[in-house]
Amino acid sequence: MNDRTTTASRRAFLRNGLMGGAAFAAAATTGSARAAGDPAITEVQDWNRYPGDGVDARPYGSPSSFEAHVVRKNVPWLTSDAVSSVNFTPLHELDGIITPSGLCFERHHGGIAEIDPAMHRLMINGMVDKPLVFSMADLKRFPRENRVYFLECAANSGMEWRGAQLNGCQYTHGMIHCVMYTGVPLKTILAEAGVKPEGKWLLAEGADASAMTRSIPMDKALDDCLVAFAMNGEALRPEQGYPLRLVVPGWEGNMWVKWLRRLEVGDQPWQQREETSKYTDLLASGKARRFTFLMDVKSVITNPSPQAPISHGKGPLVVSGLAWSGNGRIKRVDVTTDGGRNWHAARIDGPSLPKALHRFYYEFDWDGSELFLQSRAIDEQGFVQPTKDELRSARGSNSIYHNNGIQTWFVNKDGGIENVEIS
Amino acid sequence: MSRFPKLVFLLGLSVAAGAGSAGAVDLAAGKKVFGKCASCHAVGEDAKNKVGPELNDLIGRTAGTVEGYKYSKAMIDAGAGGLVWDEANLRAYLTKPRDLVKGTKMAFAGLKKEDELSNIIGYLASFSKKAAAVEKEEPDTKAAAAEPAPAAADKASSQAASPPGAGDGLHLKLGRLATEEEVAAWDIDIRPDGLGLPKGKGTVSHGMEIYDQNCASCHGDFGEGVGRWPVLAGGQGTLRADRPEKTIGSYWPYLSTVYDYVRRAMPFGNARSLSDDDVYALTAYLLYLNDVVTDEEFELSDRNFTDIRLPNEANFIEDDRTDEPFYAGKSEPCMTNCIPGKATIKMHAAILDVTPENADEDDQPAGGID
Repeated sequence: MNDRTTTASRRAFLRNGLMGGAAFAAAATTGSARAAGDPAITEVQDWNRYPGDGVDARPYGSPSSFEAHVVRKNVPWLTSDAVSSVNFTPLHELDGIITPSGLCFERHHGGIAEIDPAMHRLMINGMVDKPLVFSMADLKRFPRENRVYFLECAANSGMEWRGAQLNGCQYTHGMIHCVMYTGVPLKTILAEAGVKPEGKWLLAEGADASAMTRSIPMDKALDDCLVAFAMNGEALRPEQGYPLRLVVPGWEGNMWVKWLRRLEVGDQPWQQREETSKYTDLLASGKARRFTFLMDVKSVITNPSPQAPISHGKGPLVVSGLAWSGNGRIKRVDVTTDGGRNWHAARIDGPSLPKALHRFYYEFDWDGSELFLQSRAIDEQGFVQPTKDELRSARGSNSIYHNNGIQTWFVNKDGGIENVEIS
Repeated sequence: MSRFPKLVFLLGLSVAAGAGSAGAVDLAAGKKVFGKCASCHAVGEDAKNKVGPELNDLIGRTAGTVEGYKYSKAMIDAGAGGLVWDEANLRAYLTKPRDLVKGTKMAFAGLKKEDELSNIIGYLASFSKKAAAVEKEEPDTKAAAAEPAPAAADKASSQAASPPGAGDGLHLKLGRLATEEEVAAWDIDIRPDGLGLPKGKGTVSHGMEIYDQNCASCHGDFGEGVGRWPVLAGGQGTLRADRPEKTIGSYWPYLSTVYDYVRRAMPFGNARSLSDDDVYALTAYLLYLNDVVTDEEFELSDRNFTDIRLPNEANFIEDDRTDEPFYAGKSEPCMTNCIPGKATIKMHAAILDVTPENADEDDQPAGGID
């Protein structure tokens, strides 16, 4: 019957066009529904019968409507206003090491600047042989590089300094993303202007309504920084700095100035708002560290996690997570299921690139008992991710920034998961 | 090295210098050093004699022999006496010109730093055909340093298949000169030493008027902050408390930051709308709100600006995270039986549930990041 139906249906389609064929096929559905078994298999599904959208329907594709919940989310109480705020990457819904461009967390201080690239300029001034102005077209005539780097906000996990607060790795760790950038080495562009020998610092400035500025040591600028115009193979997204952003590998996200319009060379730092009143780390002593640029070794289990509980019961379980370090590659990730009593080396899968996210897995047979899941990363320089208690004993609880402590997820017998701190 | 043409060799040099190899030549740095010479000497394509002779093909050149340049008698005599420029005698000459050629008319005191000498000689050698030929044939120590070791490449954190980055040593002459007006329009940053301060002035009392109209709706009448908008005043003595209040008076190290930030980004929603005098007045008023000045008629200006110091300046320290006990040892972490007893929960996120979609509007947890 199926053969006959299909043949008849195809004939009807050919004879009558789409509508005639569809009506005929719909009439046949009742017959097939009688079969025993999984209706996903035994019933002919709409998508199996009716043609879908043609190639003109989605000239720029978007995710399935069934993935509509996979979005960046704001935590309204964190900041004073959504225009100067942050949202969070849904890490628990992602795999691999590349973050889709539309899910990369946003942090901006004056909203998203919408810039016509034909009106965008990059100026280099200060202690240079000749102050220069580049158009976007000029910048695209320099030799380019493609590099995969993580970008982590220095305040990622900052809400957890005083203890467990937020239930979900999207909120506790979601101020991070990792994409492939295409851009021109910053040193190439600086060489074009000729940095004077006394030029030891670089001020990067954005064209947005906050005119974001950060001071960057010249050594870093001449090492691995990029002036990037593309991410994941296409133009930067507006919220990520279109048409031009700075890439400062391994260093705190605030320095990766978006909508980059100016680079000034000087002999000392400028002590801007974002490097004095913010992005300085207040210690228990009342002293505050400044210019804490590097993002330390860190990891988190993204699945299972509070927003992604275990729904399949006991048996084979995939524990998955992310690890990264501003020092370079990740050498190893350990996972514990008993709150740090015993650790097991996890499996890193996929590319292991310096200053990029690393994906790890630890698979085991869950017996349905309570778990205290943690991950611990070790980077290629030998730095080991510390516990939150170790961080607090060294720094107190008022640092806001640079919390790279080990995260604990409590798994109950039903597979439900909560953010906890343990002893 | 023989696998690579000259260009790659030169790129290798600069990479090695970037990785800190002793004795390696950094052409980019050499070019910078050449900035000290460029007012008198030219090198490269179309270089002509200026105050001093052009410097193409300097290595291998007999001293005092560039056509059309009027040398000192001393330099001509030196060439006649057999002085042919190589890297060693050039180093001696650039260290103390008059020691090598007594009577040279080059009015240059000399370079003291070894790396500057190496880099400028490397830079000049890159414009000398003879020097390049020598380098290519001899696998000397400099060439060895230029062959980047894998570890050095890793340290430079390159993800490239070959260590030299795109564009190293290139000069494409792209872009155009920025005009003074253009630089002035965008370069509005202020440093703690006063660099960048515009001429102008403003009083506390005038600042209060501006503040009430433009700032108080978010920052409160006395800088106390409305809602979660930033608190600007008060908080002195709270930096070691459970809930430190970080304000201009209690936390910010430099007054220049206030002027710079207000001028570039405030008032929120209407940036760059205040005059330079208005920003002086507002800055003066913020000093008043923070009890740094107490006279309502106090006038802040570009002349007295750097006299004012904020109370917390001395409490900022450099990054010393690598000295912290858990990093300093870099010890291999424990794998089995690391902690006695079973794990017990000491804090649940659910107790203070501020996760979006669950939290009440009234919840005001600790640890905002604004």
